[in-house]
Amino acid sequence: MAILDKNLSLRNRNKMLVGVYEDEDNLMQATQSLVDAGVHVHDVYTPYPVHGLDRIMGIRRSRLARVAFFCGLTGLSLAITMIWYMYVYDWPMNIGNKPERFTPSWIPVMFEATVLCTAFGMGFFFFWRNRMLHGVKNEILDLRQTDDRMIIAVETKEGMDEKSTLDLMKKNGAVELREFHNGVQTTL
Amino acid sequence: MGHGHHIEIKQENFVVPDKAKRFAIILMVLGLVLTGVGMATLGGSSSHSHEAVAESHAEHSDHAPATEAHSEVEGHDHQAAEAHAEEHGNMENEQFGPRAGFHAEEKPAMTRFWANLLVVGFYFLMIGLCALFWIAVQYVANAGWSTAFKRVPEAMMTFIPVPFVVILLAVLVAKTDLYHWAHYEHLHLSAGDAGYDKVLDGKSGFLNSGMLIGFPTVLVAIWYFLGRKLRGLSLKEDAATKGDVSFFKKSIRFSAGFAVLFGFTISIIVWLFIMSVDAHWYSTIFGVYNFISMWVTTISIIALFVVYLKKAGYLHLVSDEHIHDLGKFMFAFTIFWAYVWLSQYLLIWYAHIPEEMYYYQIRFEDYKANFLGNLILNFCVPFLFLLMRSAKRFRPLLVTIAVTMCLAHYHDIWFNVFPGVFGPGMQVGFLEIGIYMTFAGLFVYWVLTALSKNGLVPVNHPYLEESAHHDVGV
Repeated sequence: MAILDKNLSLRNRNKMLVGVYEDEDNLMQATQSLVDAGVHVHDVYTPYPVHGLDRIMGIRRSRLARVAFFCGLTGLSLAITMIWYMYVYDWPMNIGNKPERFTPSWIPVMFEATVLCTAFGMGFFFFWRNRMLHGVKNEILDLRQTDDRMIIAVETKEGMDEKSTLDLMKKNGAVELREFHNGVQTTL
Repeated sequence: MGHGHHIEIKQENFVVPDKAKRFAIILMVLGLVLTGVGMATLGGSSSHSHEAVAESHAEHSDHAPATEAHSEVEGHDHQAAEAHAEEHGNMENEQFGPRAGFHAEEKPAMTRFWANLLVVGFYFLMIGLCALFWIAVQYVANAGWSTAFKRVPEAMMTFIPVPFVVILLAVLVAKTDLYHWAHYEHLHLSAGDAGYDKVLDGKSGFLNSGMLIGFPTVLVAIWYFLGRKLRGLSLKEDAATKGDVSFFKKSIRFSAGFAVLFGFTISIIVWLFIMSVDAHWYSTIFGVYNFISMWVTTISIIALFVVYLKKAGYLHLVSDEHIHDLGKFMFAFTIFWAYVWLSQYLLIWYAHIPEEMYYYQIRFEDYKANFLGNLILNFCVPFLFLLMRSAKRFRPLLVTIAVTMCLAHYHDIWFNVFPGVFGPGMQVGFLEIGIYMTFAGLFVYWVLTALSKNGLVPVNHPYLEESAHHDVGV
């Protein structure tokens, strides 16, 4: 799977049903009822993290930890290679008559390089995977989702009961219902 | 557990189960038996260690010139320094740093018992203090998640006076055998006398018997007063009306005062009781190192009590999320312990100044298994296991690691004291294990009793609701 997640993109999608919410409790209830009704929720956009939403939506555990591990491993190997090349192989140095082979003085460099690569790597892959990397076009369903509104987006499928889905959103406190298709929004 | 999901908050009254009481008493009795065995064999083991000491003295005689060189470095006046070095050159225990007239093999056999009391007293004193510091940190940081099990560190804090009395007892009875500076002080030497020690004389303004007893007593009294105050406020809050935040606000003020005072003064206790065992040696990071060692132990013990209470059917507001976060704390401070450990070791290793080196020289060359084992059990094992998310959420594994850390950090403190007091040739034996078990049993009994005296849930704490809904995410 491409690292830049196409699943998160809004381009080349079927018509989206959009519910706008003002309150996070309503949002959670709405999401829960949609999931219970067997509707596939494309995504929920909130201006701040809402605890428990990830569980309701059934989002799998992030693989960022594994990415971090390999970034750290890269940093560690980089540091060992660098110190070994500079200090042992290319130009052996005698500092304070310490041995050239692996010594405790290598550890801070190894530690720092590991931490540096882990931090940068995690930042980079997090933004890349979430389509927030510099240069990736912003795809925002509704500008207010970055301010004070929360938005549920449901992608329509063949044979889906749009009416009852919209009713479900409305019933759980949606303040606005919209449709989104090919970049055009219509208020319902 | 998400928002909107209602959690009923009710008070719980903990009754110490007979099984737990029996466990604590068995621990104490077994500990006393082992202590008895250890005491009975003290004479024998003492003569054995005498041989070991003599042997390694012979082995180490080649290090003597290095320490003489160190004496030269210290004196500002070169000639005086030379005379100083000559005087010291005659002392046969020069190898482990200059310690005039302080021979491990000449100490009474009972010294080992008193040294053990010092270690065990320091260990549990620091656990009580760190538990108190935990409470203060939660208030100062405005942390809500830990409120649900707040009574556990509060109960641990009440143990403070017991280990402190034990330390005072050990120090009052055996200070001249435990601390070579106290022995030196006892000799009343002045400049020019044979055996005069410039370094110890220079430190005597701080490092003297009055300070050793007086300063910690005053400090512990103030800390304990603040601790009782915080616990009192917390208990009064239970009886107050719902929504009354005056106790909470007052607690923040006391916590801030305590945290600042404790942060500045905890090192002094460590210098006086532990670092002065090697009175010529010093390390600026030593206070932090000992504090962190005990801080991570305290968090492990909090986790153990929380898991136990949960298993016994209490703490209905605590979930896997809280235990997971305690595991994260254990993991984080394990790394920090290793960081501080390495910082101290690395600087001394790199500078290679004899007066600093002898601290690690004796610990590395005569106690290699302890030195490496200490590092493996305190860092490698908890680090590698706690790295996994599942280890922090799977209670049997978390408990195993927490117990390992408690024991290994006890060894850490033991290892700071014993090679300094006795030189080479000591090892963990029946006495060490027995005394540790006795106090562990007493501690468990004490804390469980303290927990049973008041409600287990701080029902009117303003952050209790937040704590109940604590969630670390998928």
